[in-house]
Amino acid sequence: MSHLGENLTAFLDGALSPAEREEALHHLAGCAACRAEEARLRGALAALAALPLPPEPSPAFEQRFHARLARQRSERRGWLARLPARWVLPAAAACAAAVLAVGVELRQRRELEHAARHLDLLESYEAVEAAGDVPPEDAELVAHLHELGGER
Amino acid sequence: MVPDPDAALLLAFQRGDESAFRTLFERHARSMVAFCHHFVRDQARAEELAQDVFLKLHQAAPRYQPSARFQTFLYRIASNHCLNELRRGEHQARRAAGADGEPAEPDALPGHGATPEEAARGAALERAVARMLAGLPEKQRLALVLCRFQGLSYEEIAGVLETTVPAVKSLVHRATVAAAEALAPWAPGEERRS
Repeated sequence: MSHLGENLTAFLDGALSPAEREEALHHLAGCAACRAEEARLRGALAALAALPLPPEPSPAFEQRFHARLARQRSERRGWLARLPARWVLPAAAACAAAVLAVGVELRQRRELEHAARHLDLLESYEAVEAAGDVPPEDAELVAHLHELGGER
Repeated sequence: MVPDPDAALLLAFQRGDESAFRTLFERHARSMVAFCHHFVRDQARAEELAQDVFLKLHQAAPRYQPSARFQTFLYRIASNHCLNELRRGEHQARRAAGADGEPAEPDALPGHGATPEEAARGAALERAVARMLAGLPEKQRLALVLCRFQGLSYEEIAGVLETTVPAVKSLVHRATVAAAEALAPWAPGEERRS
């Protein structure tokens, strides 16, 4: 016959299901060894229950906690506040330089893209003519090109 | 799920309500000091550890998910903190040096209580329990303290220890058997089930 084992402590703690509890009670009724173990464990629980009550927090406990909390917050803020003198300004300058560099890069890229698009337009003599504001020699060239185009 | 008023307070604190945190502190300060005292057996140190736990709670609050019960969240922080304290070993060594040479008989030394005899018995029992707890593996110790002194259910302990209920059942059983051996001199002789 197997004994109650871990179920014995769970039985004492009221942690068994109703069916398990019934089973444990039935087993205890017929098993002297488990009844002896039950008595031993009940003795331990009674000894633990007889321990003096744990100490109450001292009157200044809460006050000390809030002082520590305030100090912790102040240290966190202080850490941030100390940064600008040594770290934040150089870091901010580096960030600004990086943003500026990215801006310049983007602008250069945009100009190149625009030039590329414009180059396409310049390759079209029609676009050059449409621009209107062309030197006379270019206008002559455009007209010549028109003639050439009309011959095709 | 049963509504958890403490969880609601912590969520209110997440939204910036400082008074909600103060209420949580007031509700749980006593149980935290008692819990920590079971690991260090020293009032001042237990209070310091309990304060540490609340400072950690204050910092960890933004990470709290309402799917976990507040009590589970708090005891998980406290358990880890107390175990770390024990692992650091400073206090353990100090207490061992003070306790090992003392007698462990039920009627040994004077202390606090209704009568000098009761006080002496209580103080000796405290030392015997402290020695028993110190001899347990970490998880058994936590399970025993959470179950026998803090009144948590097996399910709640499983949440704190991040394990299963059957595992907690085993931990609590083994720790209780160890307590029965260590505390036999304090067990009432007439404690028998009828």
